[in-house]
Amino acid sequence: MAFKKSLLVASAAWLSAFSTLAEAVTVTYDFDVAWVTANPDGAFDRPTIGINGQWPIPQIICNVGDRVVIHVTNSLGNQSTSLHFHGLFQNGTTHMDGPPQVSQCDIPPGHKLTYDFTIDQPGTYWYHSHTRGQYPDGLRGPLIVHDPKAPFEGQYDEELVLSVSDWYHEQIHNLLPAFISKGNPTGAEPVPDNALFNDTQNLKVPVRPGKTYLVRMVNMGAFAGQYVWFEGHNMTIVEIDGVYTQPAVAERIYLTAAQRYSFLLTTKNETGANYAFAGSMDTTLFDAIPDDLNWNVTGWLVYDDTKPLPEPAVLESDDFEAFDDMDLIPFDNQTLLGEPDQVIQFDVIMDNLGDGANYAFFNNITYTPPKVPTLYTALTAGELANDATVYGEFTNTHVLQKDQIVQIVINNLDSGRHPFHLHGHQFQAIHRSPADEGTFDDTNATMTNFPKIPMRRDTVSLEPNGNVVLRFKADNPGVWIFHCHLEWHVASGLIATFVESPKQLQETIKLPQDHLDVCAAGHIPVSGNAAGNTVDLLDLNGQNRAPDPLPAGFTARGIIALVFSCICGILGVAVVAWYGLAPDPGTAGPALQANSSNDSDGQQGVLAAGDKTTGAPVQTVRTSASAAGR
Amino acid sequence: MPDVFAVPVFVIVFREAIETVIIVSVLLAFLKQTLAGPGRDDQVYKKLIKQVWMGVGLGLLICLVVAGGLIGTFYTVGHDAWQSSEYNYEGAFALVAVAIITPLGVGLLRIGKMQDKWRVKLAKSLEAPISTTGSKAGWLKRFAEKYAMFFLPFITVIREGVEAIVFIAGVTFSAPATAVPLPVVVGLAAGILVGYLLYKGGVTAKLQYFLVAATCLLYLVAAGLFSRAIWYLEQQKWNNIIGGDAAELGVGAGSYDISKSVWHVDCCSPEFNGGGGWSVFNAILGWTNSATYGSVISYNVYWIFVMGMFVVLRYKETKGHWPLLKAKKGHANSIDQASVEPKVS
Repeated sequence: MAFKKSLLVASAAWLSAFSTLAEAVTVTYDFDVAWVTANPDGAFDRPTIGINGQWPIPQIICNVGDRVVIHVTNSLGNQSTSLHFHGLFQNGTTHMDGPPQVSQCDIPPGHKLTYDFTIDQPGTYWYHSHTRGQYPDGLRGPLIVHDPKAPFEGQYDEELVLSVSDWYHEQIHNLLPAFISKGNPTGAEPVPDNALFNDTQNLKVPVRPGKTYLVRMVNMGAFAGQYVWFEGHNMTIVEIDGVYTQPAVAERIYLTAAQRYSFLLTTKNETGANYAFAGSMDTTLFDAIPDDLNWNVTGWLVYDDTKPLPEPAVLESDDFEAFDDMDLIPFDNQTLLGEPDQVIQFDVIMDNLGDGANYAFFNNITYTPPKVPTLYTALTAGELANDATVYGEFTNTHVLQKDQIVQIVINNLDSGRHPFHLHGHQFQAIHRSPADEGTFDDTNATMTNFPKIPMRRDTVSLEPNGNVVLRFKADNPGVWIFHCHLEWHVASGLIATFVESPKQLQETIKLPQDHLDVCAAGHIPVSGNAAGNTVDLLDLNGQNRAPDPLPAGFTARGIIALVFSCICGILGVAVVAWYGLAPDPGTAGPALQANSSNDSDGQQGVLAAGDKTTGAPVQTVRTSASAAGR
Repeated sequence: MPDVFAVPVFVIVFREAIETVIIVSVLLAFLKQTLAGPGRDDQVYKKLIKQVWMGVGLGLLICLVVAGGLIGTFYTVGHDAWQSSEYNYEGAFALVAVAIITPLGVGLLRIGKMQDKWRVKLAKSLEAPISTTGSKAGWLKRFAEKYAMFFLPFITVIREGVEAIVFIAGVTFSAPATAVPLPVVVGLAAGILVGYLLYKGGVTAKLQYFLVAATCLLYLVAAGLFSRAIWYLEQQKWNNIIGGDAAELGVGAGSYDISKSVWHVDCCSPEFNGGGGWSVFNAILGWTNSATYGSVISYNVYWIFVMGMFVVLRYKETKGHWPLLKAKKGHANSIDQASVEPKVS
């Protein structure tokens, strides 16, 4: 846990809220976001984004029903920032959700913004920057909402929060331009340099024998999914992404980036040995595995710190089977939502655009942030807020009406695994195909045999060339984005936007002044359509656009070049033929003879003679040649 | 079928063979027409023919050795030393070939015009010892001229041969080894057949027409080579930028640098998987599915240079002096005199 303290004076005044009383309180944090130096893997000192001079950044901890107020000051100096509270519904406070150009403006350096919302949902969450690619630089931490009425309450002795993540040595603002560039046409994502448990390596977790621990795990990595297992111990899963589940025993779990699992872990009754636990990054996500990469991270359940810490057994890659989260049953037994009012299909592809760089697409649209945050457009577009057009051509916006049942079908036409996350909701995952099953076919009975009580969560893994079908009820007015949680793909445009109940939003949301202030500071318009047009909302001229597609084959330029080359070639051949067929005046005598006679070399004379009278001189030469030959 | 006949192998062998046989058969046909026959210079003819075949043979030997070494390196060191900078080599070889073909073409055309004079000159230059007196450049020039009949097939065979062998080796890493011999043999045979037909056509046609036609073909090849040389050098840079072999990306996005592209079609590649018929098209006419500013401009610049060269030569022929220069007394260094300086002792 190497971090330097107090680059800035911590002005924190957080009240711990461990009160088991059900009465709601207000939990206030002052977060001064600034660069610190950290070296969590012991391999490389790097600038890291800390809070109040500290890194790892503080956990946000509260109880169900609490109001959380976070005063954020951006002291980064060189970058804008924002905070998103991953998994929270933000019911009635969609403007506190965090993504810039979606529900707020970026907080420019030197500016402040307050997030103020009430949490009415229990479970394991996390918070992170939602500003372009930024959170892997360190601005991500767990957010835990305690619940005195949790179904497993009373079944455990202690609670542990365990984060797992990947870690880059290079800063994102250096990695991103190289990632989205013509020099990386395959869109190969930067491979992490290391994996971390609780922002360190070789983590020692002291445990007592014969106890049960509630372990809340968060994968707050940027890219790598993680297999996690505890040697000699089982995990009893009780919660995923804030959804309580029927207890399910697992030997190994797989957490995509942004997924959470809570599980009960019962320790052994003796203290004779310590046990390793391991996180192993999903290397199938990596295009190329660097020779020096160690994709594993180890920690230990320490029963007795005088005993040795055993290395975890090496697993063959075939052994990487993990618990299938589709088998989990929500504790509340919420049944399959009814037939959908809207079915939205997203085909996931990766392709290159006219600048040569590789982008990610939902249905041939790569997300390009609008000029006006989508929420602000929804609030200022009046009746037209129900028309998806006003949100721009490159935001992939779908308008949902109150209480509609929405079905999202995602077909993965890419050969990579993607974790998809929906803001503001927990969706039912009603079908997930194995890898390479192709696209979803709603006439195929084996695919539409949906479970009666589907698994629910907020981030779901989609298999390579497979499909997944999600359902949710549009019961939470707001602007919610749906995106791949591989931070690289967020940057390369794998985002869609849902504008849910815009009319209700217009009636209920009142933007706080500080939200408008950061927009003003960043010169970002706060009304009008995606292009910032407030007069004709259907006129999108000037909107932010994705690069044009690659030119298809021959453009005018190519045709001109080809025709010119052909003409040049034909002319060239003609000139060659003309020259070759033109009689040489030299053979007739005068010109060449003039040359020859001017030549001082006697041999030249012989040749010149040969030109005119074939026969004898050749004979002469041949004789000399023969002579020389002998 | 794929188990015994790897189509890409056939195509690459055929394509590499064709470029070689065009040059070799044109040379042989030319020599036959100018030097062979009754009352002609049989000994010189044989000597020059020998040079050509020596060039072919030595080139073949060297490319076998080089390619063997490269493949050995690939298997032992574990990476393909050739492929990592393949295009640089190809580009350099192509430039050398252009440098040889360009003056050779002029020579061939002038032969058509001054057949007998050239026969004499060839004989003389061949027989003359390389003078060690005089300037170094002059020596080098005479040396190159004396052995032009050797060097052109030699360079061509090395260039095409190494390319073919390395490519075949590359294919055998993925295709069964049994699929290689047959297409190699068939490809070579087909190439040699084309060359033989060319030669046959060459030796029976009226010499001047044959030479004009052959020269046109050579310049077409040379223009393509020059364009390709630039393309290769650019493509190597692109490979270095994307940190790998762009060919692995097939013919789609990312296999080329969009900022340098003039046209790109996702098909018809002369490089990808041996290139199919497009590689023959490429070998003769310089076709590419992915043209760059460099390749298009170099193609046209080459032709403009060639056209300019012939116009100037023609000017010299008819006026007796170079354009913009007054008819000058003394030595005029025209091409037809270039090879006759050495003194016969």
